[in-house]
Amino acid sequence: MSWALHRVDDRLIHGQVVVAWGRHLRPRRIWVVDDATAASAWERKLLTSAAPDSEVRVVTVVEAAAAYPEEAAAEGPAILLVRNLATAAGLLEAGAPILRFNLGGIHYAPGRTKVNDYIYLDDEDRAHARRLLARGVILSVQDVPGTRAVPLAELEPDLARA
Amino acid sequence: MSLRVPALLVMHSDLGAALLRAASSVYGPVEDVEVLSNEGLSRDTLETRIEERVEGWTSGGLILTDFWGGSCHLCGISAARGHGDMAVITGLNLPTLLDYLHNRDQYAPLELAERLRQKGRDSIRIHQAETA
Repeated sequence: MSWALHRVDDRLIHGQVVVAWGRHLRPRRIWVVDDATAASAWERKLLTSAAPDSEVRVVTVVEAAAAYPEEAAAEGPAILLVRNLATAAGLLEAGAPILRFNLGGIHYAPGRTKVNDYIYLDDEDRAHARRLLARGVILSVQDVPGTRAVPLAELEPDLARA
Repeated sequence: MSLRVPALLVMHSDLGAALLRAASSVYGPVEDVEVLSNEGLSRDTLETRIEERVEGWTSGGLILTDFWGGSCHLCGISAARGHGDMAVITGLNLPTLLDYLHNRDQYAPLELAERLRQKGRDSIRIHQAETA
């Protein structure tokens, strides 16, 4: 199993991923799963240059779901990044059998309320979180490897009761 | 004499503000340098905040950031796209910032960027302790 981390982070590749998780996991490949980013050759090039120690693949949700089993069987480790919970739920629904997502950064935007310093959710985000939890996916909140992972349902008890 | 090359510091936590404060203590009052932290900002928000600050740079400028691959660097690159003589510099340290302040009126933006890269490299030296 190559997959070492599945992360929701609206900054996609950035310092915590490259420095903290990168040093911790030493990923061979980083899969950025984001339809909008995958549609832009310029964005793909930018993200590819951002993590010089890993091979970066920028793909759509459909492409990622199709490639998921093959990557799982390859020599890893590999990291998967999505920008939001909607994409995370979309990946599951497109057939990627992901068991756990790390919630590493969903930042404030109008309409979102605070869960902790780096997780803010609106009604739509919470609906996607419920869809994921209903599928048995573990959602755990953790920004960097050195901090404790906390189940989202512990921070947001209403989600577990849905 | 060239036009002054404007600069925006985009860094993690309070690093940009602290670097500028430290530079002021050595250089004196600093004008025309803006500071932005990425703290608590999504990629889209950070990119927008940078764009707001650089859109008035009609003759280019420098975005000074901390490390390659961080959101400050990547959003800086996105915000600088399509502007003229603009560059993003990573690995900014205090000697480099001071060199920017001393030379920002003498160079075109991309020439100044090249000078700062060399200054940054040269600024990291090892002075081994001597035996007593």
